[in-house]
Amino acid sequence: MEIGRISLPKVKAVVVSCGMITPYGWGIDACWNGILSGKTAISRLNRFKTETFQSDYAATVDGLEYHQKDSLVMQMLKSLFHGTSVSIPQDAKLILATTKGEIDFLERKILKGTGDNSSCNLTSLLKKVSALTGVQGEGMIISAACASSAAAVARAAAMIRSKNSDCVLVVACDSVTEFVFSGFSSLMALDKFAARPFDKDRNGLSLGEAAAFALIMSESRAKDEKKQRLGEIAGWGLSDDANHMTGPSRDGDGVILAIKKALKAAGIGESEVSFIAAHGTGTVYNDAMEMKAFRAVFRDAKVPVYSIKGGIGHTMGATGLIEMIIALRALKEKKIPPTVNLKEADEDARGWVSPQERPVDNNKKVLITNAGFSGINTALILC
Amino acid sequence: MISIDGIGWVNRNEYGCVRQGRRLQYKDSTRFNALLRKRIFSCPFEKFGRLDNISKMTCYAVALALKDAGIRYSRNRKQDIGIIGTNASGSLQSDIRYFMDYLECGRKLSRGNLFIYTLPSSPLGEAAIHFGLQGPLLYVTSTGNSLPSVMAMASDMILLDETSAMLAGMAEEEEAVYFFLMKKSDFRENCLSDVARVSAIVSKSVRFSQMIEGFDLLKEGYPE
Repeated sequence: MEIGRISLPKVKAVVVSCGMITPYGWGIDACWNGILSGKTAISRLNRFKTETFQSDYAATVDGLEYHQKDSLVMQMLKSLFHGTSVSIPQDAKLILATTKGEIDFLERKILKGTGDNSSCNLTSLLKKVSALTGVQGEGMIISAACASSAAAVARAAAMIRSKNSDCVLVVACDSVTEFVFSGFSSLMALDKFAARPFDKDRNGLSLGEAAAFALIMSESRAKDEKKQRLGEIAGWGLSDDANHMTGPSRDGDGVILAIKKALKAAGIGESEVSFIAAHGTGTVYNDAMEMKAFRAVFRDAKVPVYSIKGGIGHTMGATGLIEMIIALRALKEKKIPPTVNLKEADEDARGWVSPQERPVDNNKKVLITNAGFSGINTALILC
Repeated sequence: MISIDGIGWVNRNEYGCVRQGRRLQYKDSTRFNALLRKRIFSCPFEKFGRLDNISKMTCYAVALALKDAGIRYSRNRKQDIGIIGTNASGSLQSDIRYFMDYLECGRKLSRGNLFIYTLPSSPLGEAAIHFGLQGPLLYVTSTGNSLPSVMAMASDMILLDETSAMLAGMAEEEEAVYFFLMKKSDFRENCLSDVARVSAIVSKSVRFSQMIEGFDLLKEGYPE
């Protein structure tokens, strides 16, 4: 498919602050150090009964209470924002990215008769997040399956580039619930133990939960307010496989299209990409499809690829934002994270992935890919 | 300039293509549940019956919007057209259906074909597959009337050259409307309206029927 002319950068969208809570603990340091340690945060799940499911492993955040007053995602978000020193500008436009939000409230209503069905409505969560962060506008929800927060980051950058806003707060969250776990199990998508992205013996994903935020500003506003520039969202591309509801296109055409759009939007060639933060779920088909796409775009370059999902699991709607923040940290530290749980790379990934950390080359541009049900693909270019 | 080249809509009583001036009532002979799909889809829609209600409504409205805009489509001929949709209820009915079914199975088995519709973006995915839409796909919602915002976002995506064209709209269990948006050098040429005009009608309309009536104004053309 021919890609149309993509507008070159005029107004730069830069990330000025961010934060996260993941199964490794509170903060970016905990997640970064956890991934570099090579130890997984995926462990046996004791939140609900799992005997009849495909797996009893998941990556959960310690200390969360199930079916209590606050939903799991609100508990994570409160911890995230109450613990941060970052001040959120009141005029920031809020984008909340999630797949199932407070779905544990629907479980609670149906199982225990507490609350009402509408309490799990996504807009109800949006109001709470708006109040928690102190932004004045109503904000919006973006849901694009497991590419939700990557799509939200793309929209944030687009809003800044098109001068619709000069400050956007992207918040992302999803949690491990019986609702979601049973669904992924029914699709036979789960590894019995911990996910092993790009491994020759990989056999499925592990679910994870997380919450994260990123404050994104126009470069000029960031300079005016003397904000630290953590990185620039230089390009983005969104596409759909238009092929299958739950499985990726085998030929990788959709991801290739998203990557090419992102490279064009960033105004760079593929040779300028230093490394790739892949979606890398650990399912046989996703990882094979991604490698096929990387090989098609980068040919024999063997650009370093990694996935963090062997460490924190697949955090669904939050995954793109978490991966963007970790990629920014990788650029800062000049270290490409290892792929946790990788023992022996699959044949098509050999020379691309590694269980060890690697140095970043001088290009300092990273490609982040994500995908989701309905064949959704996203690609982001950071520098 | 972003133009709207076609509008398709459907509810439990009737359906229509605004530009073509078509408005068909089901009447007694054709109830909604027996709606003749061959009148709406230009190629067979395999396994349509397994779709949840919002997916069905989405696909009906998208088919009518494409027909209204004169866009040919096929599952096998992919086009760089995106789709962005909204609604007020998200996937609530499908969520309840999935979880109740899981409970009725003793919390031991769940059905993947019900689970996939618990994502609010899934109806858009069904449309993308059937109509071969390979552009961006997003579900967006907010506390108020999200449809004008969705139309504005679709326009921005085209203006930023993220995609060639967009379908933007809303679908609930009993009603849906979709708009086909494209970039034009002169919006008076081969288009129904510009986005601002349609968006104004959408913003003012409290009820779905009011919005559909409002679209009649578009056929009066632009004042000279």
